[in-house]
Amino acid sequence: MMFVRTLCFLAGALLAFASHANELRVLAHSSFSLPKPLIAQFEAQSGVKLSVIKAGDAGEMLNKLILTRAQPIADVVYGIDNSLIAKALAANVLDPYAGPAMQRPALVPLAPGVVAVDYGYVALNYDRAWFAKSGLALPKNLQELALPAYRNLVVVQNPATSSPGFAFLLSTIAGLGEEAAFDWWARMRTNGVKVTKGWTEAYYTEFTRNGGARPIVVSYASSPAAEVFYSKEKITESPTANLFLPGSVFRQVEGVALVKGGQQREAAGRFIEFLRSAPVQEGLQTTMWMFAAEPGTTRPEVMRHAAEPSAFYNPPADSIASKGPDWVNRWTSVVLK
Amino acid sequence: MSLLELRGVCKTYVDAQGGQALLADGLDLLVPGGRIVAILGPSGSGKSTLLKMVAGLEPPDAGAIYFAGQDLAAVPPERRGFALMFQDFALFPHLDVVDNVAFGLVEQGLRRAVARERALQMLAVFGLHSHARQKVWRLSGGEQQRVALARALITQPRLLLLDEPFSALDAELRTRLRDEFSQRIAAAAITTVLVTHDEAEARAMAQQGFRLLQGRLLPLW
Amino acid sequence: MLRRFSVGNAPGHFGPARAWWWGVLPLGFLLLMVVAPLARLAVEALPDLQWAGISAMWQDDYLRWRVWWTVLQATLTCVAALALGLPLAWVLARFEFPGRVLALRLLMLPFVVPTLVAAIGVLALWGPRGMLSAWWGLDLQGTPWLLLYGNLFFNLCLVVRAGVEALEQVSAARVAAARSLGATPWRAFWRVQWPAILPWLVSATCLVFLYCFSGFGLALILGGQRYATVEVEIYTLVAHELRLAPAGALALGMALLTGAVAVLYAFVERRLATPGRADGVARRRPTGAWQWCAVVAGLASLFLLCGAPLLAIVVRAATAGEQVWAVLLDDETLPAVWNTLRFSALAVLLATLLGVAHAFAARRSVWLRAAAFLPFVVSPVTVAFGLLLLYPRWSASLPLLIGAYALLAYPFVANALGAALDHQPAHLAQVARTLGATPRRVFWRVTVPLVLPALRRGMAFAAATALGEFAVTLFLSRPEWATLTTLIYQRLGRPGGANRDAALVLAALLMLLALLAFVLIEQAPRRARVLAPVRGATNVPA
Repeated sequence: MMFVRTLCFLAGALLAFASHANELRVLAHSSFSLPKPLIAQFEAQSGVKLSVIKAGDAGEMLNKLILTRAQPIADVVYGIDNSLIAKALAANVLDPYAGPAMQRPALVPLAPGVVAVDYGYVALNYDRAWFAKSGLALPKNLQELALPAYRNLVVVQNPATSSPGFAFLLSTIAGLGEEAAFDWWARMRTNGVKVTKGWTEAYYTEFTRNGGARPIVVSYASSPAAEVFYSKEKITESPTANLFLPGSVFRQVEGVALVKGGQQREAAGRFIEFLRSAPVQEGLQTTMWMFAAEPGTTRPEVMRHAAEPSAFYNPPADSIASKGPDWVNRWTSVVLK
Repeated sequence: MSLLELRGVCKTYVDAQGGQALLADGLDLLVPGGRIVAILGPSGSGKSTLLKMVAGLEPPDAGAIYFAGQDLAAVPPERRGFALMFQDFALFPHLDVVDNVAFGLVEQGLRRAVARERALQMLAVFGLHSHARQKVWRLSGGEQQRVALARALITQPRLLLLDEPFSALDAELRTRLRDEFSQRIAAAAITTVLVTHDEAEARAMAQQGFRLLQGRLLPLW
Repeated sequence: MLRRFSVGNAPGHFGPARAWWWGVLPLGFLLLMVVAPLARLAVEALPDLQWAGISAMWQDDYLRWRVWWTVLQATLTCVAALALGLPLAWVLARFEFPGRVLALRLLMLPFVVPTLVAAIGVLALWGPRGMLSAWWGLDLQGTPWLLLYGNLFFNLCLVVRAGVEALEQVSAARVAAARSLGATPWRAFWRVQWPAILPWLVSATCLVFLYCFSGFGLALILGGQRYATVEVEIYTLVAHELRLAPAGALALGMALLTGAVAVLYAFVERRLATPGRADGVARRRPTGAWQWCAVVAGLASLFLLCGAPLLAIVVRAATAGEQVWAVLLDDETLPAVWNTLRFSALAVLLATLLGVAHAFAARRSVWLRAAAFLPFVVSPVTVAFGLLLLYPRWSASLPLLIGAYALLAYPFVANALGAALDHQPAHLAQVARTLGATPRRVFWRVTVPLVLPALRRGMAFAAATALGEFAVTLFLSRPEWATLTTLIYQRLGRPGGANRDAALVLAALLMLLALLAFVLIEQAPRRARVLAPVRGATNVPA
């Protein structure tokens, strides 16, 4: 009978979730992506099965880690960045790692016991074709962006729900000073800044490059390179470019750390080493579009379209931790309410 | 000897306005075997509920119902062997005509093929053979009610309960069907209880008639 | 010893007498998947509970405005959906024309398409460089019209499908009787058809209303954060700030509000539900210019509202050139297709089990009927986090994932089936009993075949929801469980024209799979066969 078959099906599905005794659980954000052959190689060499658990964006992921600290859902966590590290350390969910990868210097540091894996920059991108066609000059600083000439041309993400959005807010605060920054945001509000929930919505529905109405978007410094890499035809010049304005660039450093209360310590250590190994550091540049933290990593050709900015504006890590939520609330009342 | 006997039956029912109304108050009825008995009453007076009680679909509040001397209180509707017909024909819309007629035979344990055979024969007797494979809603009202009668009679019921069977049909059809039904019922010699609001129809069909008044049956003829 | 018989007092009592045990499965499921996690989350939030902070939160003007805005846009959407949906349902229910069945199936595709892809499709038409904007010189960006369009895009199909089924159940005899008594077609509609279809419309409208409250709407993407619903607020508090106490208070307030709507719906529906007749009004080919115009106009508006963005997606996908093949043959795609199919199939099975059990349990209970909406009344993010807290070991496991899919899908089954059960003509079961069928046989031989079309409709919507994976993205996931939807979001997480085209191709593939699923589920047999009788059945005393 149909019902009996149904029950058997369900039972089979239930049993299909056998958890492997020898698996290493890695908690990561949804953008985590490594070339498959490298993962297979790691599994073969270390003898554990790699079990990646994706938990939304970095902020969500950290919160899930904090919430489940009594019964950790992973052994190692990747993706905690410099805007979240203070919160993670304060919540006491990480264990310090002291292996070789920690001993070697990274191009950019993260925190003691947390190994930096990659870094990138949150910055404004603009649509070249649109600006060429409109004849409008590019703004030279943030204040110009709030002038009527640039009305309705900018789209940003809500810092409450998006990490690049949050990063951008932090950079305006660090670059302009807190009061001036919020004053600028208020003027941007009157100047028609559009706010979206996340990067994907901003880039794929509001950016003029993809059919929207806004030629300036908060994105990553590596995005123009990705545009070339993922373009439909072969192109030599990126259709978008970075707009590095004072107070609009945030350096983001991502790292990997041991989860307090996690198991498989040895395999976890190996995984951390693996992330800082040369093949992975090279590979992640074109899968996650971040720069490698390991010194001496060869940069792929396509990354020449992703210039590194000369300056970046990061507030101190402790003030991010202590004042971050207040800044977001204030931003909400200034821009949305 | 009376076949069907209602003794001291009491029942209240929910009327059209949603309030409690009295249907039966110590109601007695004796129906002899092989007779057609009519019960008259205005529409909405709960006559249908009376038939449902006899059929076993609703329990009486008090009193007892006997058939052939047996108390029916513990007998479920599917064991009583009574057939019920409604004014809206109540044919199964997901089955075609022949499967409708064969329904009761299948419930009696006959194999599908055999039941169908018998149903086709019954339809032929009714002159509805050509409609056998059609969907029931394609038939006219009169044809549908005749199919309903075929469905009821094929199971050789001990008692036939008719709930205003012709009210949904127009006048001319009503008369024709009335005669046909009387003939067939008489031919099968089935005890019948007919409930209706139309006195002419009752007098034409039934040998005995009652009026339902204030919870009791008043003999009319 | 003859078995005691059991009848219900309400007319049209079908099925086993003791209905309460039907409810064990769905209520147990709701308890495990919704109530317990929420309770656990509440326990976690208790230490941070500060009444002063919470009352201050509710005093906040901005929050109140958001609540009011959420209610307003939900109401407007309901009104618009009814106003547009009913005439469309009429056309689809009363007229027979080629392509009718296809239109009904295509109608459900908006449910399946991820909101982001739908946004891309809508913008391809109505955006600043959209095709239709250019023709008609309109720029709808930022206007309320676009938001309404966004909401209607998803929700219209709910109303139209329910309306079609409702109209098919209207008794032809009653309409004919009204007409013969001198009523004009319009009056006949108002006095006979409208009351008959009301239960279905009420239930569909309730679903639409609740859907608009969730944070996963097309309107949000199109309109931006200024038009966000309260759910976004809750999401921020829980997922990003981990402030569980205010989030819980907010979620509770919204749940009370939406729960009241669900209970109201259950009361209204129970009042309105009257057993019907079995003779539905038959469809006929349109005759005359006016009727053909109506059909064409109906199909055109359906196309414009629901179909055009999807067509834009398919066209873009088809013209992507070699990208198409690159994506389809990519080694990530096939496993994703397999995952989509198997997760959806399991989810639909589970949702059907739960929905059927719930519908039968809830025949007489208003509260159980309202409980069928529980998955839409509670905030999805709070449930997700509650589940994480309550079952951390199981959080990244397949049963929980399928459970989450089924949770969001089974109200559709319960709803559709409930409406059909209410409508069951009472006399059919009674006649069947007198013809010798025990209550169980009546259930299998009479009730089930008659409610099967409604059940199939509910299952098709459940399948659409499972394929579309609303809110399941809130739960933990594993790369090996990537479905087509996940893959689409992955592609759209990186810049590049190739990624966008790949996402569109995958979306087109998803739509195709969904269409196949709908055809499979709703395929009506050529001749309506009754279920074969149980072998060897005889009247054996118990």
